[in-house]
Amino acid sequence: MNILLDDQEIQIREAASEFLEGECTPALVRKVETGTLKYSPELWSKFAENGWLQLCLSNKAGGEELPLPYLGLLFEVAGYHIAPIPLHATMVPAMIIDRYGSPEQVSMLQAVIAGELILSHAVAEQTGRWSTEAIAMQGRVEGSELVLNGSKTFVGSFSASQQCLVIYRDASAPNSLGVVLVPTDANGLSSEPLASMAKDGESNVQFKEVRVPLSARIGNAQSGNLIARELMDLSSVLYASLLAGAARRTLDMAVTHAKQREAFGQPIGAFQAIQHLCANMVNAIDGTTMLSREALWRMQENLPYQVNVAQAKSFGNEQCMMVVRSAQQIHGGMGFIRDFDLNLWYRRVGSWSLRGGTAAEHRRTIAAALIDQPQRVRIGLIP
Amino acid sequence: MDFTFTHEEEQLRAEVQAFLVEHFTEKVRAENAAGKRGEGWGEAIRDFFEKVNQKLWFAWSWPTEFGGGGGDRTMQFVIEEEFYRYTGITLGGGTGAPSILMFGTAAQKEEFVPRSIKREIIFCQGYSEPGCGTDLAGIRCRAKRVGDKYIITGQKIYTTNAQNATHIYLMVRTDPDSVRHRGLSILLVPMGMPGMTVRPLWTVQNDPPAPFGTTYGEERTNEVFFDDVEVPASCLLGEEGGGWEVARRGLNLDRVGAWRYLISVMRDEDIVNWLHTEGELQDTLRDDPQVRDKIAEMWTEAEVCRLMTMRSISIEQNGGKFTYEGSAEKVFAPEHSVRATEAYSQILGPFAQLMQGSPNAIEKGIFAHNILGAYQSTINHGSVQVMRDQVARIGLGLPRAAKS
Repeated sequence: MNILLDDQEIQIREAASEFLEGECTPALVRKVETGTLKYSPELWSKFAENGWLQLCLSNKAGGEELPLPYLGLLFEVAGYHIAPIPLHATMVPAMIIDRYGSPEQVSMLQAVIAGELILSHAVAEQTGRWSTEAIAMQGRVEGSELVLNGSKTFVGSFSASQQCLVIYRDASAPNSLGVVLVPTDANGLSSEPLASMAKDGESNVQFKEVRVPLSARIGNAQSGNLIARELMDLSSVLYASLLAGAARRTLDMAVTHAKQREAFGQPIGAFQAIQHLCANMVNAIDGTTMLSREALWRMQENLPYQVNVAQAKSFGNEQCMMVVRSAQQIHGGMGFIRDFDLNLWYRRVGSWSLRGGTAAEHRRTIAAALIDQPQRVRIGLIP
Repeated sequence: MDFTFTHEEEQLRAEVQAFLVEHFTEKVRAENAAGKRGEGWGEAIRDFFEKVNQKLWFAWSWPTEFGGGGGDRTMQFVIEEEFYRYTGITLGGGTGAPSILMFGTAAQKEEFVPRSIKREIIFCQGYSEPGCGTDLAGIRCRAKRVGDKYIITGQKIYTTNAQNATHIYLMVRTDPDSVRHRGLSILLVPMGMPGMTVRPLWTVQNDPPAPFGTTYGEERTNEVFFDDVEVPASCLLGEEGGGWEVARRGLNLDRVGAWRYLISVMRDEDIVNWLHTEGELQDTLRDDPQVRDKIAEMWTEAEVCRLMTMRSISIEQNGGKFTYEGSAEKVFAPEHSVRATEAYSQILGPFAQLMQGSPNAIEKGIFAHNILGAYQSTINHGSVQVMRDQVARIGLGLPRAAKS
């Protein structure tokens, strides 16, 4: 047990930081927000060229096969710089395809690594709930085809993507979920963009008799529930990593500001009211960071991880929101001025904290694991 | 990054658990409680301590030349955790011996460390005074050097366990003209020297006594008075005037570790385990969505407490360079303990006010006693307000306030 980063982890994180420090400016983030693509193809290409997309993909997919916590570090850095690229949308399905896909599906990941194939994943539906029970999208088998009917919403980077990994419910076996890869230009598919605070291109997606070959399914009829759940958990925990990174940036901005801005004859950072806000921000960020890293670590080690994911995201949602709100407080009026950069982070944390499961939703998972089983519990040991 | 204990560490954990079940009998438990009350140590607990010593578990990570185990910090944590959970006994010698290992002369190490391990030497901590607590720079208790002696005059307060201690780890002002941090020194003073008086200060946990496992369930702390107490100059630890540095290092060790972690999270386990038991109230609460949500929220915070402790152990394992982490943990864990205790009492309703011995008390009244104890942990060993100052100044480099 040693939960601190080792030399290689630090090295990778610093390299990613250095790259985004140079390539991803607030000006770029603003430009992408107002554009139609909702991501920067130039940055995405460079990001891929630098090898960041292959970090944790397997050797057989053409990746470097580093353990999952490295992906968490990369997402922390991406969150710190709010990189306007479809990283979350793409890497979550990519990791799932890598793990459960057929050899043909896995071979597709070479294009992901090259930055030529953008993926998305569609989980939530009209209720907006983040739970496997809320999935109603119908998948009907007809011969060698799967026919999808229903609607998905809050699909990140859908319009940027060429393939979307969709969770559906098996029409002939209502307790079974399935996961299938659907080309975003398939017949019967339509989408409309949502206008979220993050301004990063989420969409509603309608499926009317959308036909895909059965071979587009990931796994088989038996493994659908497990794969769907893993997809959701990976999506949630990587949002927590993004949240931790973005929140840390706003702390850094707030501290810099508090050292410079003077009021009542001294830097406001000398006032304990400000210092204590900042100390709370430190613990909120560190807590989110450690919880999300541990969840990813457990995923990597094939240990039970669902409660850890739920902890990371529920804590991250509320605590990182507190951090960015406190950063606003410390900045005073300038924080809510459009042309000042803090709002770029604030709006993303606002959106990310609502995607991939709310605090209440994740706490249901935690409570069930603690209460709805007979064994004695102990912190750190989930029965 | 490695979040799991090794197979070897888990094996040790199992071994310690089995050892305690076998040897920490009800008789030993009763004698331990009597000893803590100041009634002396009985035969059975002496025998138990002897067995623990044979395993070298009291001081697993201390150097072997002074009787320690020479092992690593993580394993020591594992032993400490299991001991505290099962017995309430804290291992590792508190502030005294670890800091003597760091700053003591060869003679002091020889004199104090092996006997601390055998529990023949027990330190109490003489920091706080009526006029100063977390801000130790305000210390007024004086020690005047006269020839090869120090003559100590002054008062200490909140000196927990002074009634059982053999020595006091005493912070004094050796330079009468000094201010703030300069001119402070640490003296290792035997208890019971002529001119020393120990007077009990009974806490809110005094009547009735708190059940085992209560956060700050101690019924007694003390005041210690020094009336021209003469001690040999060889009692000095480290350099004269260097007491601040000695204490500062020791305090970080004091603010983290198994004990600090466990006193912050044990109610989170208790409420869930109690909900597993039969009962009308349990049945109602188990299915209440608000109860479930609150418990899950508190559990998550408790997991953050665990991770902060893991971080501290990792830092110690890597050589012990803390910046803000010890202080940050000393904010989060005690405040979690307060939030959780208060939340659970709202969940349990009027039953949570019932103390040990009362009819209808839940789990021997531990939730009521925790209401009386948990907030003490936000005060003792450095108040959370001062800890936040340190996170902000040391961790983030924010400036000190100007004097107005």
